[in-house]
Amino acid sequence: MINKNTKILIFGLMVLLGAALLAYGAFFHSTNVSAQQDGEPVMLAKSESALIKDASVSGVKRDESGKIKQTYEIGEKAPEACST
Amino acid sequence: MVPMVKKNKTGGFASRLLGWRMWVQAAFLLVWLDPAGLRMHTMCSPVFHCYACPLSTFACPIGVIAQFGALHVFPFIAVGLLIAFGALFGTLICGWVCPFGFLQDLAAKVPTPKFDLPKVTGHLRYVVLIVTVLAVPYFFGEGHPLFVCRVCPAGALEAAVPTMAGQAIAGETIIWPSVVKLTILALFLIAIFFIRRPWCRLLCPLGAVFSLFNRVSAFFLRFNADECTHCEQCHKLCEYGIEPEKSPNDLRCIRCLECTKCGPDALNLGSIFERAKGRDVPQNNL
Repeated sequence: MINKNTKILIFGLMVLLGAALLAYGAFFHSTNVSAQQDGEPVMLAKSESALIKDASVSGVKRDESGKIKQTYEIGEKAPEACST
Repeated sequence: MVPMVKKNKTGGFASRLLGWRMWVQAAFLLVWLDPAGLRMHTMCSPVFHCYACPLSTFACPIGVIAQFGALHVFPFIAVGLLIAFGALFGTLICGWVCPFGFLQDLAAKVPTPKFDLPKVTGHLRYVVLIVTVLAVPYFFGEGHPLFVCRVCPAGALEAAVPTMAGQAIAGETIIWPSVVKLTILALFLIAIFFIRRPWCRLLCPLGAVFSLFNRVSAFFLRFNADECTHCEQCHKLCEYGIEPEKSPNDLRCIRCLECTKCGPDALNLGSIFERAKGRDVPQNNL
């Protein structure tokens, strides 16, 4: 049986964990993405927020070597629709 | 005659709001359907609404988790959001806030014969979560036919159909989604008229996540054993085949709170922040 104090403790820990993950993802987490600029390969550090936006329109893909690649060139418009 | 019992503060508020549930769900559409054209796709929402929909304010957390799985990147924002909202509200989000649940609630208003589902089918949601949202994206990438977005009826209905309509109106070549996706959409559109919330109860991976928090969420269904007369009125009130007095925090419960209408007032929406009245049922009998 879960008593009220245990519930409050679990709830508090969950909210703290959720908020910490959310804050880390929103403000500190970034991922290296390889992109092309005028035909030259460039490495970008994309924030998680930017990666969410790109992932939602298939703007980033993981290739066979494990690298994350941007599917459109820097300066070009990102794809408008999700590929799925 | 059973004397009426004064509800606790949270329960009283919930019972006043209960008659307005559909209006609450409709009001939340103003948040999810992006009437202001904000397109904040850099952030997830806690509901099941496809980000490829022309009317979506936020990104879908399930889609983001699957896409990030395909990239082998941990989705801190989506996971953090689900933990925080799950801990606060549990499946209250499914019953009161989710637009895809609201759509199914509206379809259930059509007077067609309704069929019930066996209890065990509720566990299919965890299979969907593990296979199509976690395992397939991580091991096979987004091109696999079982990748969640490729079989999702919300994506088909909210994104593929409007996109195809737009292409047809503009005279462009129509890009059809896969046969599997269209078949799932057709089955879903038939099922919503004959089964209450078929997606939520059978397959929804987001509901599967939130249901895990039902036992520990800040807002929960409180059963007061002292008030229960064993009339089993709550069994009839529950449209999802749950016996609320036996398992008030059942994993299949969407927190529609219909069972709180029971005469003896033994079931109430409770919160961990207020003092319970009477003797609560042990919380380990899910």
